[in-house]
Amino acid sequence: MLSQRELDRYKRQILLFGEEGQEKLKKSKIFIAGAGGLGCPISIYLAVAGVGTITLADMDVVDQTNLNRQILHYDRDIGKKKTSSAGEKLREINPDIRVKVIDTTIDETNVLSLAGSADGIVDAMDNFPTRYLLNEAAITKNIPLFHGAIRGLYGQATTILPGVTPCLRCIFPSAPPKEVFPVVGVTPGLIGMVQATEVLKYLTHEGRLLTDRLFLWDGLEARAEEICVERNPACPVCGEKNTRKTTTGRKR
Amino acid sequence: MTVKVRFFARFRELLGTDILAEPESGTVFASLVKDIAKKNREGYDAIFDGNGNFREFVILMLNGKRLEASDAVTLTVTDGDEIAVFPPVAGG
Repeated sequence: MLSQRELDRYKRQILLFGEEGQEKLKKSKIFIAGAGGLGCPISIYLAVAGVGTITLADMDVVDQTNLNRQILHYDRDIGKKKTSSAGEKLREINPDIRVKVIDTTIDETNVLSLAGSADGIVDAMDNFPTRYLLNEAAITKNIPLFHGAIRGLYGQATTILPGVTPCLRCIFPSAPPKEVFPVVGVTPGLIGMVQATEVLKYLTHEGRLLTDRLFLWDGLEARAEEICVERNPACPVCGEKNTRKTTTGRKR
Repeated sequence: MTVKVRFFARFRELLGTDILAEPESGTVFASLVKDIAKKNREGYDAIFDGNGNFREFVILMLNGKRLEASDAVTLTVTDGDEIAVFPPVAGG
């Protein structure tokens, strides 16, 4: 049940989602992988929207060079763990939700337990090797994955429903080379909002998801485009050979 | 014939976009992209490796459908085709 305070807090979006939708948000658990450029705006907006349990994982310490884009971290937080800096702010932003922070490097040994029983995994990573791990965890646990990535004024996003849409490996079979990427805060802000919007739509069953499509943003040209993406039957992660069966024995 | 070639993101910065190419009949997808990319060394190197093959991460589209790099070296383009070439971004 929503408290009177929650009914007031979420009044304007209950006009969109209804009390039922707001209850769904309250009951939802979202795992956000990364408290950096994408993770900060995404966690802020999911927190204010009333997503009941937000788990945020990061291994990093706040650095001066993060502050042009990682908007949960302030100048005074330099040297502090990103998880503790983010957790503190998110709890203040919305005391009616649960915020769990986990100070860890996401790797193959912990990714499944980090995903836990989340209703959605948000990809707020800054590298493809870890994104592939999140993708595998999403496919294994049948949890939607909300992908986003940025570079400079460019960004991309898509929503992955395991067994239904292409997975991250179908879309990006090979990782782009590692680099210290240029970035200005507005780009992860914008792409993060696409991802957060997708999470809210998915949780409240509203609208049409960004599935089977890759959203591409070119901030230099102020152009948004999308391209259709398809499942790869030979995908090493979600391909036919690897399609697991549900407990009812039907293919997903 | 006319084929539209669109580069995205970094490739667009280096090579421009919405290029209307007029290849001869029988021109292969990969050759057409290569010819256009040659006008800028950095652009070429961003898309192709030292052996002239598409770099592994480069995504190729033909008329809105994904095209594998292995098919791009044999498939010939036809009038009105639209090609897209783009690099995934990886930051966050």
